[in-house]
Amino acid sequence: MSWLSRLVNVFRASHLDRDLDEEQRFHLDSRVEDLMRQGLTRAEADTEVARQFGNRLGLREQSRDIKLIPWLESLLQDARFGARRLRQSAAVSAAAVVSLSLAIGGCLAAFALLDALLLRPLPVREPESLVYFTHGSDRDFRFATVFSYPLFERLREVAPAKVDVFATSVQGPQEAVLPDAGGEEETVRAQYVSSNTFGILGVAPAIGRLFTSEDDQRPGDHPVAVLSHAFWKRRFAANPEILGQWIQLDQRPLQIIGVAGRGFTGTEPGVRTDFWVQGAISRRELLTDANNHWLRVWGRLGAGVTREEAEGILQPAVLDFLREENEGTRGKGRFGADPPAPPTLRAQAGAHGLSPLREALRRPLLILAAVVALVLVIACSNVANLLLARAATRERDLALRISIGAGRSRLVQQVLVESGLLAASACVLGLLFARAAAPAIVRMLAPADNSAYLDLRLDGRLVVFVAALGTLTTLLFGLAPAARVFSLAPNAVLAAGVSRQSSRLGLLRLLVAAQVTFSLMVLFVGGLLLVSFQRLMRLDLGFVKSGVALLTTRTSSQREAQSAPLAGQLVLDRIRQVPEVEAASASGWALFSGSVGGVWVQVPGGARVESSFLSVSPGFFATMRIRVLEGREFEPRDLEPDAPPVVVVNELFARRAFPGERALGKTVERDPAREEIVGVVDNAKDTDVRAATPFLYTPLRGVGTLQVRTKGDPLTLAPRLRSEVLRVHPSLRVTSVTRQSTLVDDTLLRERLLALLSGFFGILGLALAAVGLYGVLNYFVVRQTREIGIRIALGARGPAIVRCVLAHTALSIAAGVIAGLAGGLYLARFVAPLLFEVKPLGFWTLALPVAALLAAAALAALPPVRRAVRLDPVAALRHE
Amino acid sequence: MARYDALQGALPLLVLKILARRGPLHGYGITAQIEGLSQDVLRVMEGSLYPALHRMEEAGWIKARWASTEHKRRARVYEITATGRKQLEAEETRWHGVTGAVAHILKHA
Repeated sequence: MSWLSRLVNVFRASHLDRDLDEEQRFHLDSRVEDLMRQGLTRAEADTEVARQFGNRLGLREQSRDIKLIPWLESLLQDARFGARRLRQSAAVSAAAVVSLSLAIGGCLAAFALLDALLLRPLPVREPESLVYFTHGSDRDFRFATVFSYPLFERLREVAPAKVDVFATSVQGPQEAVLPDAGGEEETVRAQYVSSNTFGILGVAPAIGRLFTSEDDQRPGDHPVAVLSHAFWKRRFAANPEILGQWIQLDQRPLQIIGVAGRGFTGTEPGVRTDFWVQGAISRRELLTDANNHWLRVWGRLGAGVTREEAEGILQPAVLDFLREENEGTRGKGRFGADPPAPPTLRAQAGAHGLSPLREALRRPLLILAAVVALVLVIACSNVANLLLARAATRERDLALRISIGAGRSRLVQQVLVESGLLAASACVLGLLFARAAAPAIVRMLAPADNSAYLDLRLDGRLVVFVAALGTLTTLLFGLAPAARVFSLAPNAVLAAGVSRQSSRLGLLRLLVAAQVTFSLMVLFVGGLLLVSFQRLMRLDLGFVKSGVALLTTRTSSQREAQSAPLAGQLVLDRIRQVPEVEAASASGWALFSGSVGGVWVQVPGGARVESSFLSVSPGFFATMRIRVLEGREFEPRDLEPDAPPVVVVNELFARRAFPGERALGKTVERDPAREEIVGVVDNAKDTDVRAATPFLYTPLRGVGTLQVRTKGDPLTLAPRLRSEVLRVHPSLRVTSVTRQSTLVDDTLLRERLLALLSGFFGILGLALAAVGLYGVLNYFVVRQTREIGIRIALGARGPAIVRCVLAHTALSIAAGVIAGLAGGLYLARFVAPLLFEVKPLGFWTLALPVAALLAAAALAALPPVRRAVRLDPVAALRHE
Repeated sequence: MARYDALQGALPLLVLKILARRGPLHGYGITAQIEGLSQDVLRVMEGSLYPALHRMEEAGWIKARWASTEHKRRARVYEITATGRKQLEAEETRWHGVTGAVAHILKHA
């Protein structure tokens, strides 16, 4: 009680106090005026009035109690009454609360994700004046947002007062030795930033200092690092002693000089950063190579500078830079000889950071939010159904109360308090559900070894959202029953008994139609996404992904790497002798590992073909089960130092390079070598399951990643393989072991997530609609018991009774189906870009959800219909 | 204050009667009416009128609204409700009963 009264006082009492005070003051002033008119002085009048009036504060307290307590008591009374009524039908209430809390929890989780990824601005100074730059030469967001270090340096010098430019690197997991790790490497996420980054963003250190602009002036000079607050807490237990200690990254020692302020997690939502390093200390070739794009370039706009002005200021510098670069490397650059159209620099609003994850997930997340919102509406109409049907049993009770003078508003308050109780408990459960679900979803967003990181916090925004959602749901399902109270004509109800119900049935039918509509929409969209995902999973990859273990290896020194060609063969020979191993090979990197190589290949006297390339050892095609269409695959003799240079190409390459001719035996030119095609293989996909690219394979002289095809689960053999590798080659380290199938499946995480979640919510929505339909039919049969009994007594048989029961809802279901299909097709327009080889407007895509819905409806109708048919007419006629 | 105590039980009755007769009034107006009509014999301990008014308001006998006076000030104006009229009838009957009985005793004791 005390917390409740305090809560209520917060938003009611201050207003009340003001009113009470004003009323008193009016009285006092009027009295003073009267007394002064009678000839008293101002002072005399004041004293007299104060004496006459009594203890102002005390009186005000009295009034306040009079006004607050009855209201509170009535509220409490209603809450108790509501709780009792909810307990009376515990199963139904539990079902209502659970379905509501799943829907509310879904909404909350979706909101938390959307908030972290789309809505919340970066925790930096004046985020609205931040921009990031893209160049128009690439439509793929990941490539359009990266620049080379020399270009960044040029942009930084243009006009710092108008556009203060800084840069951050694209980051991925890296190996580093941390101060207390005793020399053991571990995977960290380091980000290179220009040293003016923290200053421009306005990030303050938690301890120590951050980079200053001087840190950048001499490349390679100041090897220092700044830890993120989260990493400092997680990895070093927030120990301040860490300052001044050393991290070993990329064979380079870095001194820790500070920890960034709490809350700043970097400029890329979706990615976690452990520590920051100045860009200028990275490897020299990264700093000078204009073809190596690895930096995201940002700007802080000066006062009054618009994004368009910033583009105008920087664009000439970009063009100048490219002209100079092309003059310097004419004909030599790998891609530079075919320069694409000159890039147009665009300044994009950077208040929310820059996030490829967000670009990839914006649409899926919005679709997901729409789906959970629909499920919430279904759940709400379900609960409204429940409350309405139950209100029917109370109608006489309510009518009686109204006729003896109970205020209707008081009864409405009671209905709303009951709804509020339901909504509040659903909100609490939903919050718990969301707290578990949201991080689980984040884990599903990205592969385990490169996990996405989102700052999902339970802050004020979420609390406000929950409160708004709770109020909204209460109104959604509480208003209909409450409206009934107002329209109740007590005399009619009391006189007519049970037979008066037509208007309620109308409302129930409307709710059934709404539920059918929304659940069909969710089901339809979920079905599209599921089918699309299925298609993607069943695509022919050109190789067999199951049963292959991938061992990524690394040699610890340069000298070892040079002796690797021989060692690679030895390691493979050794592995092939393990009994469970069917085949083994090596390649520069694994297919679908995310690494890609691109080359331009010149056909002598013919076309230039852009192709992917990969170095593979003999036995690669056999191990991966990529079919050799013509010629042969690599053999050990191709690795000998004086062997003629040979390549293997895929069918797509052969078709592009030699249209209408046989590719086998032809030569291709790859600066500077001429190589002979000794084999043509099937199109194995890499990076994207949807489409293959032209591919050029070269013989691998080294180790790289090992593919091992085994009988049974490849990972059970991993420890054995690891030790075999070490035995042959002690300095070769196996850095990670995974399945080839995992790598492939990880490229479809987004599709899988969307399919799983929308499938789940589709089934939930269907179940809710079925429960709602059951409730309505059941209610109908109960209310019509007498009528049905009379019909049976008069000779009506089964089919007629079934028709009588279903006639009322069949129309609403039909209307719901039509509206649902229309709504689903409308939604499908937003889903379409995510679909693979699935057309929304197909027979099966439309028929299947409808069939599922009708089946669920039939299932839901079965128990009430059975009850109606088996009714004992004699008992029914006695029914009241 | 004897005068105040004498009024204790009768205050709601007086307020209801005044509101029924004179129409909507603010608190100060009610005070002035009570004083004027009783030739200053009955004087309310002025502040205590308000808790009484609020209690009657919560009971539904009177209702209040904010109105602006001729001097452009906001004043809370009270008005009797249908329930209040019924209540007034009952209280008046009771009052006449009690005062009649007391008068009878005073005369005949």
